[in-house]
Amino acid sequence: MTAQPVKSCDWMPLDEAQTATARTTRLDGFLRSVERRALRIAELSVGSRDEALDLVQDAMLAFVRNYAAKPEADWPPLFYRVLDSRVTDWHRRSRVRGRWLGSWWPAAREDDDEDPVAMAADPAEAGPLARLIGEDAGQALEGALRNLPLRQRQAFLLRIWEGLDVADTATAMRCGEGSVKTHLWRALAALRAALEAHR
Amino acid sequence: MKPTPEDWTDQARAVLDVSAQHLDAATLSRLNRARQHALAAATPVRPALRWTRRLAIATSLLLAVTIWWPDSGPAPTAPNGPPLSPEDAELLADGALEMTDDPEFYAWLDADADHNG
Repeated sequence: MTAQPVKSCDWMPLDEAQTATARTTRLDGFLRSVERRALRIAELSVGSRDEALDLVQDAMLAFVRNYAAKPEADWPPLFYRVLDSRVTDWHRRSRVRGRWLGSWWPAAREDDDEDPVAMAADPAEAGPLARLIGEDAGQALEGALRNLPLRQRQAFLLRIWEGLDVADTATAMRCGEGSVKTHLWRALAALRAALEAHR
Repeated sequence: MKPTPEDWTDQARAVLDVSAQHLDAATLSRLNRARQHALAAATPVRPALRWTRRLAIATSLLLAVTIWWPDSGPAPTAPNGPPLSPEDAELLADGALEMTDDPEFYAWLDADADHNG
């Protein structure tokens, strides 16, 4: 029997330590590659950067815990599946909270600590998108995307922007490929109409 | 007519790419922390570290039990009653209390009380 090489500092077998380190490095690279787009996708869906950051953090943690051992080729659809689930849950909670507050406590919004003036978008700060590409184009696209239904927006962003194929988009959205095509077709039609109207 | 991806989708992709590339420093910092937090969950705890933690916990528990274990206090003592009278002490000394177990003694006591009363 041959002795297994060990690291002198922590008694962990060398190959096991190397495997763990390599996997963490690959995970780090993958999360780096998707985190910005994931944030923008979440932000377009929930309308708040802080909320979007929380959702992305939750999604990263859940992805690493549940799917890190899966083949790397499966990581993109699985990560976006987790994020899509978080976004859907956020909308569900918001609907319930809004319905409850609206029917039982109509004055609640007036009592919020958040200053509506402070929360409103600054018309002078159009964001990097508008600054670099053109204010009109950026705002028009953001507005059109925000006005889309959730599933259509997710289909467009995952399929057109993130570049997932139909099967992976279906995995991410937890629906069939036919539903993805339908949502995408409607999203493209609605966006094109909105952007053409903007011109 | 079925809409197909056209030039505007390329432009939309470019606009979205730019918006993702030009995030502010605070946002990037939070993304970095979120990623590190998630990666920490993926890092297995090294066996040596795991055993060290267990040993530390066991030692702490043992120490806590040793410090806080209740001391054995003085042995319980019977409560002190009133002092015995000399007559009662004589009865106890003579063993005369044995007759209290005899029913005939009580019968005699009753008869004697009726006779005298």
